[in-house]
Amino acid sequence: MTLSQTQPITELLDAATVQSICDEVWPSLVGDGEAFVPVPVPPPAELVSAWVDIIGPWTGSVVVTCAPATAEALTESVLMTRPPTVVDDEDVADALGELANVLGGNVKSVLPGESRLGLPQIGPAPARGRLDDVRALVGQWRGNYLTITVQGTAPHPSGTEVPQ
Amino acid sequence: MRALVIDDSRAMRRIVGTILKDFGFEVREAGDGQQALDVLQEGKAESWVPDLCCIDWNMPVMDGLQFVMAVRANPEFRQVTLMMVTTESETGQIVKALAAGAHEYLIKPFTADALRDKLALLGLLPEGVSA
Repeated sequence: MTLSQTQPITELLDAATVQSICDEVWPSLVGDGEAFVPVPVPPPAELVSAWVDIIGPWTGSVVVTCAPATAEALTESVLMTRPPTVVDDEDVADALGELANVLGGNVKSVLPGESRLGLPQIGPAPARGRLDDVRALVGQWRGNYLTITVQGTAPHPSGTEVPQ
Repeated sequence: MRALVIDDSRAMRRIVGTILKDFGFEVREAGDGQQALDVLQEGKAESWVPDLCCIDWNMPVMDGLQFVMAVRANPEFRQVTLMMVTTESETGQIVKALAAGAHEYLIKPFTADALRDKLALLGLLPEGVSA
């Protein structure tokens, strides 16, 4: 089956399901009483992303994107650190990556067929594929911009299938 | 009680480790399955054998399933209780892990109460911790 023949994520996953996954993940991973609120706020100038790949009948990535300062605050919340303890870049990459990993694992579980989950990665968000193969939740955490994007793999630059 | 927490995420190792310490466990950590096998081998020299291993599935070098199979293949660690703690939540994956020798399965995200319930099921709650 070619990439163009696979069902786009918009037919496999609705926004309510992604939100329900967030509703479960936030309190248990980020902290008691914490929530991802699906009310958009303006995006910051600088963004950082963490993501995991899902490889299966549907192939793509689950991406968490926020400002570096938000990623740091998320890390402090996940690790339950208190001043004067400070988190370093490795902590931030690790905690944001684990958030993407737990979200990704739960997204994978609601997709049809058997899929594999990649290891978490951090950096600029991976390129998106087909325009209709994106399910994005734009919202906030503690009033700070944060998005969760489930996106198909970008097509190979040649315009054909991604080589296997 | 002794526990070995195996996860490539330091954040998750800290979360699981903190809960287990609150329950009275002495905790050691490993970042992947191979490191965990090394911890088990090194622990033998000082008679430190864990009662429980909490094992992530997706890790570099050696994943959680490979670790379970390696431990189960070694009679020296027959008494160690193995619990997967992972985002892999499909029935097929759970069956695969249990067939390989895992005793219990906890899906991320989880709460401290959920972990305590699993420990109670396994008979691993230290005295003084209510089930």
